[in-house]
Amino acid sequence: MEHKPITDYDEEVRHCCCSYCGNNCDDITYLLKDKKIVGVRHACRLGASKIINDQDQRLLNPMIRNTDGILEETTWDIALDKVATLLYNSQRPVLYGWGETSVEAIKEGISLAESTGSVIDNQSTICHGTSIQAFQNVGHPVMTLGEVKNRADVIIYIGTNPMDDHPRHLSRYTTFAQGYFRPNGRDDRTVITLDPKYTNTAKVSDEWIQFNMNEDYELFNAMRMVLKGNKLDVDEVAGVKKEKIYELIDIMKNAECGSLFFGLGLSQTLAKQRNVDILIQLIEDLNRYTKWAMLPMRGFFNVNGFNIAMTTQTGYPYGVDFSRGYPRYMVGETTTIDLLNRREPDFFLAVAADPGVQFPGYSIRHLVDIPVVQIDTHWGPYTELSDIVLPSTRIGVETEGTGYRMDSIPLFMKKVVEKPENCHSDWWILNQLKQRVNSLKQKDGAL
Amino acid sequence: MDELDIIINTGSSVIQAFYEKKGSTLKDEYRQATAVAFMDQEDMELLSLNPRDKIDVITKWGEVTLFVDISHDAPHRGMIFIPKGPWSNIIVSPETYCCNIPTYKGIKGKIRKSDRQVLLVADLMRKTYNKYPSNNDQSLGQLPIYIKRG
Repeated sequence: MEHKPITDYDEEVRHCCCSYCGNNCDDITYLLKDKKIVGVRHACRLGASKIINDQDQRLLNPMIRNTDGILEETTWDIALDKVATLLYNSQRPVLYGWGETSVEAIKEGISLAESTGSVIDNQSTICHGTSIQAFQNVGHPVMTLGEVKNRADVIIYIGTNPMDDHPRHLSRYTTFAQGYFRPNGRDDRTVITLDPKYTNTAKVSDEWIQFNMNEDYELFNAMRMVLKGNKLDVDEVAGVKKEKIYELIDIMKNAECGSLFFGLGLSQTLAKQRNVDILIQLIEDLNRYTKWAMLPMRGFFNVNGFNIAMTTQTGYPYGVDFSRGYPRYMVGETTTIDLLNRREPDFFLAVAADPGVQFPGYSIRHLVDIPVVQIDTHWGPYTELSDIVLPSTRIGVETEGTGYRMDSIPLFMKKVVEKPENCHSDWWILNQLKQRVNSLKQKDGAL
Repeated sequence: MDELDIIINTGSSVIQAFYEKKGSTLKDEYRQATAVAFMDQEDMELLSLNPRDKIDVITKWGEVTLFVDISHDAPHRGMIFIPKGPWSNIIVSPETYCCNIPTYKGIKGKIRKSDRQVLLVADLMRKTYNKYPSNNDQSLGQLPIYIKRG
């Protein structure tokens, strides 16, 4: 296939913010013709796919499932009234999602959860939730991506594959980027990948260290031991030769400024948050010798924003239960997957998320028995389970909003084109739901 | 050999994420990118598998039919990688061990050669979860099915 540059456009909108992954690249240029996006510059394959999307599956009107089990288009008033009534009458509602919407909408969502006594939770419950638990346990040696770009000479990726998940991470922030103290970019840096699998990131690294599945905790423990001057009396740990561990620790100790990134390869394996605990302690120990910091590789562009907004408003990062009128947070108790596995919720609303893609089948099976609502832009696997579908708009394209990058830097995302006529922003939908729930409360004399 | 014990890893791949975010999940292109198990070539020879053959993946939690393909990241004997999506969800472990995260990686299972069909998303969701039972056995196809107003 021949690729030619796009020349048929009449307007360029520069410095837009991408709304795909935790990189939140803010140097994107949209090419418009007749107020429609025809091209995009600087975005990676994934970011571009979200901006120039497939219109066949775009949700354009609110829909309610009829008695034959087929979704039927309806008006906003009918759909919103139905959702508000279901939400108001449920005992254990769960409001899930929020990773791909703006902080403004999240704030409205928190307020809706509070007024309905719901559990509010987001995607971090199934990706970096355990990392956040580890931060609560042992702290977080934090850094920004700008620091990595300008200072870092040793970069380590553990259990993550940014070449696939965050395609511009290496070129824009870490490995290939020229920085103030690293003028030669890639030549000034050492990149090491630790992963059981030879990933695309391992392919561009200086070194790939393979360790055994589910033995992460042992490996990091051994690394800490070596760092503290102890000798290993075994030949290998987690499938890694002891000489290799000595060599790795030597590189880490002698770094001028080291940055470590870790991903779901740690947080989703058996030891879960303990993997991250021990890794944080390793970084703390390394700081006795030189400067080291670490960051989780956050998935969606605003999962971090949800954690920050939630912590600001309630004191807890995710999985917050308002059923007693005040926020409660208990890992394994008020988090979505555990609630679904225990068959507890009696209403499930997903905003800008697709549990059909994300949740284990065993947990999804409970959604068959309860009312399920979707607020999203596209028809996905979750739509096949939804009773009511409310079409929303894309942040950073059709609606403005704020998103938090993976290193907790807030970025404003512009509106570039007009939204489809009958779609509304997440904020508007949640605001309407809140108003309707409040009027139901007033009718009942509860307000 | 008929059956092989295997460790299953799931995670996102650039092609799967591309089609998911593009919003074409109902289509064959998403099935081709997501309903596929990437496998070590030597393991494939043990089961006489060729790329794009089909396998049944069985775990304690469920069973699903997928295409099989040679892993670009081999060697990793005894391990398969499935991009995250509705197909892999059926077989991953929902066990959170009270840490809120289901175990998506390092799940024990077994695989065998299959001649069953790899379902499109809409059919997969209908047949697996059966939320809106239908007597019609016809495929729901690659486009959304809904009733338009007016």
